[in-house]
Amino acid sequence: MDFEMWVEKYRPRSLSEMVDQKEIVARLQSFVDSQNVPHCIFAGPPGTGKTTAALCMAHDLYGAAYREHLMELNASDERGINVVREKVKAFARVRTLGEIPFKILILDEADNMTRDAQQALRRTMEKYTVTCRFILIANYSGRIIEPIQSRCAPFRFSYLKREDQAAQLRRVAEAESVELKDDGVEALYSVCGGDLRKSINSLQAAASIGKPVTAEVVYSVAGRANPVDVHAMIETAMQGNFVEARKQLREMILKFGVAGSDIVKQIHRDLFQLDIPEQWKIKLADAVGEVDFRLVEGGTEEVQLSALLAKLAEAGYELKGG
Amino acid sequence: MDPASWTSKHKPQSLKDVVGNDEVRTKFTQWLQSWKTGIPKQRAAFLHGPPGVGKTVTVESSANDFGFELVEKNASDYRTEESIRRFAGLASQYSGFFNKKRIILLDELDGVYGTVDRGAIPAITRIIKDTRVPIVLTANDYWDRRFTAFRDKKQYLILEFKKPTAREVLKHLTKIVRREGIAAEEEALRFIANRNQGDVRAAVNDLQALAQGKVKLTFEDVSWLAHRDRKDLIFSVLRQTVYGKSCETARRSIEAADVDLDMFFEWIYENAPHHFNDASDLSKAMTALASADTYRARIQRTRNWKLLPYMIDHMTAGVAMAREKSKPSGWVPFRFPQRMRMLSTTRGTRKTTKDIGSKIGRRLHISSAGSQRDILPYLRIIFEENPRMAAGLAEGFRLNEDEVIFIAGGKRKANPILKARNERGS
Repeated sequence: MDFEMWVEKYRPRSLSEMVDQKEIVARLQSFVDSQNVPHCIFAGPPGTGKTTAALCMAHDLYGAAYREHLMELNASDERGINVVREKVKAFARVRTLGEIPFKILILDEADNMTRDAQQALRRTMEKYTVTCRFILIANYSGRIIEPIQSRCAPFRFSYLKREDQAAQLRRVAEAESVELKDDGVEALYSVCGGDLRKSINSLQAAASIGKPVTAEVVYSVAGRANPVDVHAMIETAMQGNFVEARKQLREMILKFGVAGSDIVKQIHRDLFQLDIPEQWKIKLADAVGEVDFRLVEGGTEEVQLSALLAKLAEAGYELKGG
Repeated sequence: MDPASWTSKHKPQSLKDVVGNDEVRTKFTQWLQSWKTGIPKQRAAFLHGPPGVGKTVTVESSANDFGFELVEKNASDYRTEESIRRFAGLASQYSGFFNKKRIILLDELDGVYGTVDRGAIPAITRIIKDTRVPIVLTANDYWDRRFTAFRDKKQYLILEFKKPTAREVLKHLTKIVRREGIAAEEEALRFIANRNQGDVRAAVNDLQALAQGKVKLTFEDVSWLAHRDRKDLIFSVLRQTVYGKSCETARRSIEAADVDLDMFFEWIYENAPHHFNDASDLSKAMTALASADTYRARIQRTRNWKLLPYMIDHMTAGVAMAREKSKPSGWVPFRFPQRMRMLSTTRGTRKTTKDIGSKIGRRLHISSAGSQRDILPYLRIIFEENPRMAAGLAEGFRLNEDEVIFIAGGKRKANPILKARNERGS
């Protein structure tokens, strides 16, 4: 019996096992060879190997017991300024035993840290450079304050190439004795883009059904994995049923725990596919952007988003020639 | 005791009906059992814990179960050394009539009747030393300095009572309404249970105050608990806000009323859409509320309360002035804020989701929110489709039974997974 998700089971343990991101891997390998690592920022979209690269590098540096020299923090779980002050300091200031005089601290989702916390982090990074190297992982490096960026070596991860992703999926399927059809591979790419984590999760969910993984199976899994129908909510609002649309929104947030920012993102994507005059799209996009900004500032998700739904209802009404 | 009070009317008669603290209660009965065959080393039990968690009722109901006679005294009876000796001294030397065994309960040592005398404590310890029947002491604060004499674990069975979970309290409340023949919404009972945070007695009192004489108990009935008698006030302010003709009337309505601002915001936010039937009016009203919310966020972030008037402007005058084209729509009743209702009913779900998220996240090197978003949906499919694979993953993530049931979407669907897991374990 298997106790791990396949994403974890087949996660590369060493830099040499990594697929794609060739140039980045080569540079990280040179850090390992020289036994010296600068502070780093790994930026890029989800599922492209940022955390894996950091873990692999630590593994190659310290060997099998690399966990003793490593701390992982996730900024979006513990993003306050106090966490940086306490946890990071406590870890960073104690010198490690062994040949390599520094430890590695991986700070995941660092772009979710408040500015204050980032300022505090900057001081800590300077003070403990000798004993600790930081790897900051982020989707957008732009959200990390300039003084930190200038202290770090930047690495930009990009979506996996189609053939690299396909090869990795086939490898996993073979090891798990799953019959993965060609159109299944195609479908996984079209559903997941170059997000390897998402595609392996989709593959595992599809395989759990116990039939050959075809395009049809992949698409049905993708549909089931996304019960939240932003598109239907937009339609409801544009047909003028604001109260019902708001109810759908409320369920997404409270029942399914969908983050407001994810809903904003999906609305933004959907907006440009709508069958409305082009001028309207950009007008509404402005409103979407405003909501996005206000959520970052701490606005209430449902209240901000329902103002947007009311705007959509208004647009729907005017388009009907109201 | 007042027979009309539900706390006594529905008091558990048997230990198995007592709410929460299962382990502690088992230890207590084992101790009582040992008195049947002789005199154990620990001649007294010291039960401590916050009020209303079932200390006294545990003693009373187990006396019932064991057929022991209960000699119960509370604080006022043993303030002085003299009074202690008078009643407990004798009682502790002889068992009851017809050889019926006896328990002495010294309740609420630090209870409402104030404090025991200094001389009283040594008197109690002396009596305990030679007692021939079990003596039980209860108190709220174990660390009270006067009780140092009772901390000797060789002589005292020390049992800490913890607050029962909201779920356990909920079960008890459900039982009561069933006996009273009241159809109560589960959300209503959960609200009461949550509000009283493990104090069963207080929860039952609240329930009685709200439900007695009713055939139905809804969430709306209960939600007034926090601010009773405010319904009319809120409605009139709400009317002035949604239908106000000038900024000034709309704004002033709220200042005059002294209502809780955050709650009142929810009332406007819930009801405004039902009172504007023109799409552009509605859009303006909702935009005004979003602006108010933005100020609320700024105040929260900066602690700058000077910004409060702007929040009020938008949520009152901003909404009132949105009315330009809406036609009068006749009488529309005001509704309780559904967002508040759903926040309360989904609290458990969100907590479970979050707990699962962080368990998974730790293994997969992602955040709790990230695993809720990116992993949980696929896990749900696997749990539905493939019990064997699901059982392995449940084991690997160290999910407990409740969490497995939650992901599988129900007990029935979870059964094959739990079965597969057990087979592996055996």
